[in-house]
Amino acid sequence: MFASILVGTWAAASSLANSPLLPGPIAVGRTIAAALRDGTLPRALGTSLLRLLVGYAVSLGCGVLLGVSLARSPKTKSAIGPLILGLSSVPSICWLPLAILWFGLSEWAIQTVIVLGALLPIAVATEGAVRHVPPQLIRAARTMGARGPRLLFGVMIPAAFPGILSGAKLGWTFALRSLMAGELLFVSGGLGQLLETGRDIGDTALVLAIIVTIVALGRASEWLLFGRLDREVGRRWGTEAA
Amino acid sequence: MTAAAIGLPADAVARPSPRATRPGASTSLERVSFSFQTEKGARLAIESANLHIEAGELVCLVGPSGSGKSTILNLIAGLLAPTEGRVLENGAPIDGPGPARAMVFQDAALFPWLTLRDNVEYPLQLAGTPKGERRARSEELLRMVHLWRFAQSFPHELSGGMRQRGAIARALATDPAVLLMDEPFAALDAQTREILQGEVERIFLETRKTVVFVTHNVREAVRLADRIVLMGTRPGRILRDVIIDLPRPRAANDERVAWFAADVAGEIRSEVEKIAREEADDAWVAPGGRVRVDPRRNMGGGI
Repeated sequence: MFASILVGTWAAASSLANSPLLPGPIAVGRTIAAALRDGTLPRALGTSLLRLLVGYAVSLGCGVLLGVSLARSPKTKSAIGPLILGLSSVPSICWLPLAILWFGLSEWAIQTVIVLGALLPIAVATEGAVRHVPPQLIRAARTMGARGPRLLFGVMIPAAFPGILSGAKLGWTFALRSLMAGELLFVSGGLGQLLETGRDIGDTALVLAIIVTIVALGRASEWLLFGRLDREVGRRWGTEAA
Repeated sequence: MTAAAIGLPADAVARPSPRATRPGASTSLERVSFSFQTEKGARLAIESANLHIEAGELVCLVGPSGSGKSTILNLIAGLLAPTEGRVLENGAPIDGPGPARAMVFQDAALFPWLTLRDNVEYPLQLAGTPKGERRARSEELLRMVHLWRFAQSFPHELSGGMRQRGAIARALATDPAVLLMDEPFAALDAQTREILQGEVERIFLETRKTVVFVTHNVREAVRLADRIVLMGTRPGRILRDVIIDLPRPRAANDERVAWFAADVAGEIRSEVEKIAREEADDAWVAPGGRVRVDPRRNMGGGI
């Protein structure tokens, strides 16, 4: 409903402006269709998605482990806790110049930016979630003989799952933003590069088409993954699904 | 709340006993002291406690907050190690938690992400029990606590009393020798509490586990215990034992239970008043000018 009003307003504004700088929904739709047909959009989307998944998987794994160790080990907390909070205030794109100096114009540079952008919010959320696991649950598990990795993976992480999930969602959007920022800056074959191409040749419709694609990507991840996980958490914990 | 509302059949009679393969174990504390480390230094929680619990005995630890009754339970569970002295099970020192001693907590502590049945099977899974056996055992236990209909429910879908019964089923899953209960019914309403006290007594009579039951509630202790261990505070210590030699099963409204409770409460008035100030409860009789109801005496009822 709201979306159709938005698209309607956009159509009205673009016909009023009647300028190549503000193409309407139909023109953007045509551009998307054409880019889909000639394969540029699927290729760019595939490249970006693959990067995103790799960087996100690394961020998720390392972020959860880092968060758990921050929550459970006072030594880790006092050693790197303040550093983590400090670093998480640095926008991930600020790392790109450094990453390029270190790794050159390569996948490594982009992955570095994705991981630095997504890992920290995941770690911070995981730390909080693990810290707030009711101590009774851990004591109960211990009386039943759970120790070490089985206590961690069988009880602490499942108990902290709702909080970890919010961190994971935040991490996903941060990963996507870092990816786009990284791809904008050099020839990379992804959606970001296509955006840059659109700017170079003054093709506003292409730029808007990519933005629409990114929005669709965000919605799709919510629909295919995070929304389902949210509902499952709601069903089990008895909380409202967002 | 009615019996049906907490998922009990109206005629909650004893069901066939689950096979109890492990008999109850005796448990002893020998000159046990325990200190917590706080920011202001060590705080003595228990001072030189001696306690022997026979195999198959149901002992209630009663005392105000700070008397160290939960600490004693945690020491027996192996969650804490004594600062001084020894904690023994069947004469052997207890070295850390294990499936031979199971605990039921005040807030049930069921895992919210697992169904009731998976909760009951969790300790069996830890113990490496094969799946078929786990399924059979969890069904047997859930039937025993009258929750089989709710096997696929998540804990948040159950009432407080049902969660506690689920926690008891989970605690019994590994067939422990000692069942430790840490104020399991303190958060429940009076009716549900009475029903669950009956359940605990029934399970105790069926399985003959050693049960150590911590409570604030003197009447609950008298209803359940073979022996009550009274505890005092600052520092936590054992004051004395009271043998409750009433026949079983006991009824919640048994006058002798009320009389014993009044008697016990009278003996530890100063300690109980500390309890009462913390937690106004039906077991607390108002101080001064009270009539002690003695069923052996006729107070003019036949006039």
